[in-house]
Amino acid sequence: MWPLPFGGVATLHNTLDLNRSVDMNFSVVTSQFWSLVLQGLALGLIYALVSLGYTMVYGVLRLINFANSEVFMFGTFATLYIEVHFLGYGINAPSLHGFKLVYTLAFALLASMLACAILAIIVELVAYRRLRARGANRLASLISAIGVSIFLLEGMRIITISRPMTTPRLLDKWSFGEFHGANFRIDTVMTIIAPIVIFVVLDQFVNRSRLGKSIRAVSMSEENSKLMGININRVITLTFCIGGLTTGAAAFLYTTVYENTIFNVGFNMGIAAFTAAVLGGIGNLRGAFYGGIALGLLEQFASAMLGSQWKAVTVFTVLVAVLLFKPNGLFGEAVQQTRT
Amino acid sequence: MNKKIVSGLAIAAAATLAFGVVATAPANAAAKKTVTLAFQGPLTGGDAQLGQDQIPGAIYAIALYNAKNPAVKVELIKADSQCDGTVAANIAPGVAANKAVIGVVGTSCSGEARNSFPAYRAAGLTMIAPSASAVSLTDPKAPDRGFPIFHRVVAHDGFQAPALARYAAKGVTAPKYYVIDDMTTYGGPLAKGTLATAKKLGTVVGTDSVAKGTADYTSVASKVKASGANVVIYGGYTTDAAKLFKALRDGGYTGILASGDGTNTSDFPGLAGKAAEGVRLTAADVPFDKILTAAQLAEFTKITGVKVPGLYSTTAFNATNIFLDCISQGKLTRPAIQLCVNSGSFKGVGGDVIKFNRYGDIIGGAPVGGYLVKNGVIIYDAVA
Repeated sequence: MWPLPFGGVATLHNTLDLNRSVDMNFSVVTSQFWSLVLQGLALGLIYALVSLGYTMVYGVLRLINFANSEVFMFGTFATLYIEVHFLGYGINAPSLHGFKLVYTLAFALLASMLACAILAIIVELVAYRRLRARGANRLASLISAIGVSIFLLEGMRIITISRPMTTPRLLDKWSFGEFHGANFRIDTVMTIIAPIVIFVVLDQFVNRSRLGKSIRAVSMSEENSKLMGININRVITLTFCIGGLTTGAAAFLYTTVYENTIFNVGFNMGIAAFTAAVLGGIGNLRGAFYGGIALGLLEQFASAMLGSQWKAVTVFTVLVAVLLFKPNGLFGEAVQQTRT
Repeated sequence: MNKKIVSGLAIAAAATLAFGVVATAPANAAAKKTVTLAFQGPLTGGDAQLGQDQIPGAIYAIALYNAKNPAVKVELIKADSQCDGTVAANIAPGVAANKAVIGVVGTSCSGEARNSFPAYRAAGLTMIAPSASAVSLTDPKAPDRGFPIFHRVVAHDGFQAPALARYAAKGVTAPKYYVIDDMTTYGGPLAKGTLATAKKLGTVVGTDSVAKGTADYTSVASKVKASGANVVIYGGYTTDAAKLFKALRDGGYTGILASGDGTNTSDFPGLAGKAAEGVRLTAADVPFDKILTAAQLAEFTKITGVKVPGLYSTTAFNATNIFLDCISQGKLTRPAIQLCVNSGSFKGVGGDVIKFNRYGDIIGGAPVGGYLVKNGVIIYDAVA
């Protein structure tokens, strides 16, 4: 027994749980394989959408947009606000059906995406642009982004009095059916299809369109892009906007599936999405996508096989192992190829 | 508020307590013998509700006692330590210096208790707490224990776990438990504490620990369903309990859901929605209005002006009655009160026997209340 620095008292017994063992359970893998795959995909694709917010900005600025986690938080509250206050569905509102359901969800999705895109652009203006124009040290924008992040977090804490909030169940969780124990619930299916559609559109946009080309150009060389007449500020704003849009979509999906949010919801999501981005190779769109999926699957399987307490340990062990052999992440080389 | 001002006020308040009451006590004593009890807890500040809910229990007990027109009348003074250890450390010496005070009903919070111990121990002033539930306060090995002056009539955090395991499986013939915790210093020990009782009553088919703040509980839900469990116990707080219980119900789990006082908050039913229905919760309190008869409740309201007794009114009433029992036995000095409380056997308002062990806890444990969520509201069900 010894005193802790902050005044409490710890005993060896309650500080170190020596009895806790790793309880391997491999039978779960065979009995629930498809169920875990399905849930892992659904979770992983939400991660992937948020990690696009990190990876897009990193691609052009070579900086981590730390405020992206709070952009996500903002999106969950935007969805909640639209559903509960704007459209007036109380907590006990009955589930919607047919056209009304589609229209309501689509409206909430677009509102969340728009709100997040606007917020992301404001973050860029406040935390990055002015510092960049003045030629400030790159680390200064890192800190200013963290500052904006804390501002948003604490602001929401004050507005919501730290209370968790819940959204009504507008989408009744009916199931399409089961496949080898995997339950194809409507929200699970939606969380898998929507991000894939968004990703394909985004991928095509970046690879095919003129604006996409300018994003890739700035990502390769800012100096040369400037010489080619590309408006750098416009491209940077665009990438923040795209990051905001995908993060907003993730926030909508999160709120629809889990039906709750709280001021600090962005923290864990931010860590997970950033991890997914690094795992896949930060700066690379496809890397973020596959990194998200890999992380989602890894989390589900680790929770099922080793127990949820080993989830984070497993994820970061795998991350370190991957980085040891592929320092640029799983798709890191692809990034280099597109850049040179 | 400025911290200096707060402690300044606290010292001023303590001084008023000490000198104000000392000055008036002899005048009363001349007419008829009077002794004083102090109620110590939060009466102002952010946690004021806790103390404001408890003090009517003490006022009611003393009013009933004085109405019998005993040889020795009892007065109650208030010591407001705001559920704040720092304030308590300033106030306690003042209360201890007031010679008329022979017992303290308090404190409400564990931090207040801890910081009051030095002053009360030196003065030999006995405390009976209605709600300070930290295990260490009565742990013989803890340096912050309140031995020999501290007692409490509330079940400490270690008692809740077995009660939770019992109450969760009430009415289930062969309970198959699945125990989940949130990996916090509260949820972890609470969940772990249920295991021994769970193994006695049935079988534990699985355990899991999911960090507080986790978004996705689907994998836990699948595991619980695959395990065939019919009683799920969660050690954790409201927000995550709501997420977990929703995931379990959405995942097709139909058995019992149960959690402890961390989840027993009024916003839980709203957060968990339909998944909250029928959830079993515990708390170390049995509501006063469930124990009192209608006539007694009307009397309580008349005396205190409080319509519905708040949380821990029962324990505040019991704590005060123990002192009153001793006073009516003619124990009018601090050492006599201490001996009486330490060795006596008392009756709680619910008919329970209160006898303290050496370190101040009720032998056999104080009752823990079992609660149910019904139609979106948490209601008291039975002693867990």
